[in-house]
Amino acid sequence: MTRFIFADLRRLWAGSLVVVLLIAFATALGVAVTLQERALRLGSARAADRFDLVVGAPGSETQLLLSSVFLQPSPLPLMSGDVLSKLAADPRVSWTAPVGFGDSFSGYPIVGTSTALATNLSAMSEGRVFSKASEAVIGAAVTLPLGYAVKPMHGTAGGETHTELAYRITGRLAPTGTSWDRAILVPIQAVWGLHGMDAYGHEADEAHAENTAGDPAAGVPQDEAAHHDDPGHGEHAAIDPDAPLDEHWTAETPGLPAILVKPKTIADAYKLRQDYRGNGTLAVFPGEVLTNLYATLGDAKRVLSAVAVGAQILVAAAVLMVTVMHIGQRRRQIGALRAFGAPQSAVLMIVWLELFILIALGILLGFAIGYGAAMLLSAMFSGESGIVLPVGFIRDDVKSVIAIVLFSAVLALAPALLAYRQSPAAALRA
Amino acid sequence: MLSLDINSVSVSYSGLPTPVLDIASLSIEAGSRVAITGASGSGKSTLVHILTGLERCAAGGSIRWGGVDIAEMSERSRDRWRGAHIGLVMQDFHLFPGLSAVDNILLPARLSRAVKPGDPDRALMLLYAVGLCRADQTIETMSRGEMQRVAIARALLRKPGVLIADEPTASLDSDSGDAVARLLIDLSVSNESTLIVVSHDPRLTGRLERRITLSAGRIASDREHREKAA
Repeated sequence: MTRFIFADLRRLWAGSLVVVLLIAFATALGVAVTLQERALRLGSARAADRFDLVVGAPGSETQLLLSSVFLQPSPLPLMSGDVLSKLAADPRVSWTAPVGFGDSFSGYPIVGTSTALATNLSAMSEGRVFSKASEAVIGAAVTLPLGYAVKPMHGTAGGETHTELAYRITGRLAPTGTSWDRAILVPIQAVWGLHGMDAYGHEADEAHAENTAGDPAAGVPQDEAAHHDDPGHGEHAAIDPDAPLDEHWTAETPGLPAILVKPKTIADAYKLRQDYRGNGTLAVFPGEVLTNLYATLGDAKRVLSAVAVGAQILVAAAVLMVTVMHIGQRRRQIGALRAFGAPQSAVLMIVWLELFILIALGILLGFAIGYGAAMLLSAMFSGESGIVLPVGFIRDDVKSVIAIVLFSAVLALAPALLAYRQSPAAALRA
Repeated sequence: MLSLDINSVSVSYSGLPTPVLDIASLSIEAGSRVAITGASGSGKSTLVHILTGLERCAAGGSIRWGGVDIAEMSERSRDRWRGAHIGLVMQDFHLFPGLSAVDNILLPARLSRAVKPGDPDRALMLLYAVGLCRADQTIETMSRGEMQRVAIARALLRKPGVLIADEPTASLDSDSGDAVARLLIDLSVSNESTLIVVSHDPRLTGRLERRITLSAGRIASDREHREKAA
């Protein structure tokens, strides 16, 4: 029987291939949507997992998370610099690090921070942590060599290049699977200095305080025109590239868009979040914000899944229709098989197996294509964001596969039953 | 070989005012060779379907092969009985492309799960008997005459008691038709099968000892031609 079935499939290879591909692409659509959504959820959760608590100025929690954890360029309001000194002195805090954004180099975001973050984010895979204002540490995915001079550009694209200072890369962090793998970490005092806020420049700080909502982060004006029109920004203070790091945060510390905090205990984390929600600050657990974000994205996933299921139903209907038409064309063959003594059960089995083989091949191929597409999309996303999106199947997927295969087996029964019930004499007359 | 006794067989289709087949009585002796002739629409193919159990007759009729009434059988039993006792050769061969000659011969037995240990050898022997030596040649590369030879070999694999051929030479050229006609008769004799041939081909019907002519579903004439069969 198998020899007959495979001979039949070989004979009708073009039609069989079309059926397999139709099923494969419909399956791949569903698989890719599922895997990609899961990878995005898992990857972002893992990326956020490295940061226990983020403190920023009151505003959007999601925006604070996207900017500080995922390094998405967007304007963040500033909070008073003395928050950093208070947190640094807080006995419930293991370590704290300011983050300031606004500059970039070759598409890599330059993040002003402290050695606390550079040493706690990940181990050094080579080199050392910055120890001077003009030194930088790069993430694992930054394709620059140690010793390279990084000339910061204002903004993310098309901005002016700061000529006052070039950072020399002194070390590379081990991979973290987060957006920080694509970041260039520099001393925040250098960022402040480049943007006229060095030495805790009060004048500039006050200018920012007046218009914090328009600033992207760390005192860097979002609007280039505003940047040039603002005398406070236009006259950047001279920066000593060899100036030692000053990480003694005081009440005079300039305004900050975000502070990353590592509480000592879980209880401390909750207390800190409670204490820093209000009075000019907003403390968030990245995981919690992500959960809320997932709830919103869940609707989008449902829409995508519905589209995928709709496509699969259409393909199933098309395949069923094609198969029923095919059975009509094969009536004489089926009648002949019966005439030569093949039992009804053999005819049922032949038609069912032929269709089921095509569907099963389509499903298998669809899973492979869907997996490949999800891997490709993840690789593209990781290349752009640095966040590793782990694409993989889970145990529950086996149940899904079994359910799909069982459904297919039942679906394939419809044309098989048509063939089974066909009168051999009528079939031979056709 | 099997004898046939038909009584009160009638087949009607909805929408037609009269039965397409209406035979009060017909007997065929075991081992005899019979030609069925008649114009198109006279009921020849319907008679073949009735004789092979592919179609049911109206209630009350009986089709006894060797004393066994296949009209009483269930669909499944008739399938099994047909596979075991009837060798069928059709005008369009109904061979299956993609399979070799020998696989085509063995296919019905395989599908019925009735292949015996000696059947593959018998299939090769039958191929040789019908004048073919390339057992692995695929059907689509054969001439029509060769295809009909394979079909005859297939019909004889399970040593059927009855060999029924429906217009076996109709789509063949003169030489091939002649050869197939001879093969059918010779092999039915050597296999001790009752032979029933539906044909318009005088080269074939002229060799058979009895000719039954159908008209409008009824037996119009039933003549013996013993002198020609001899």
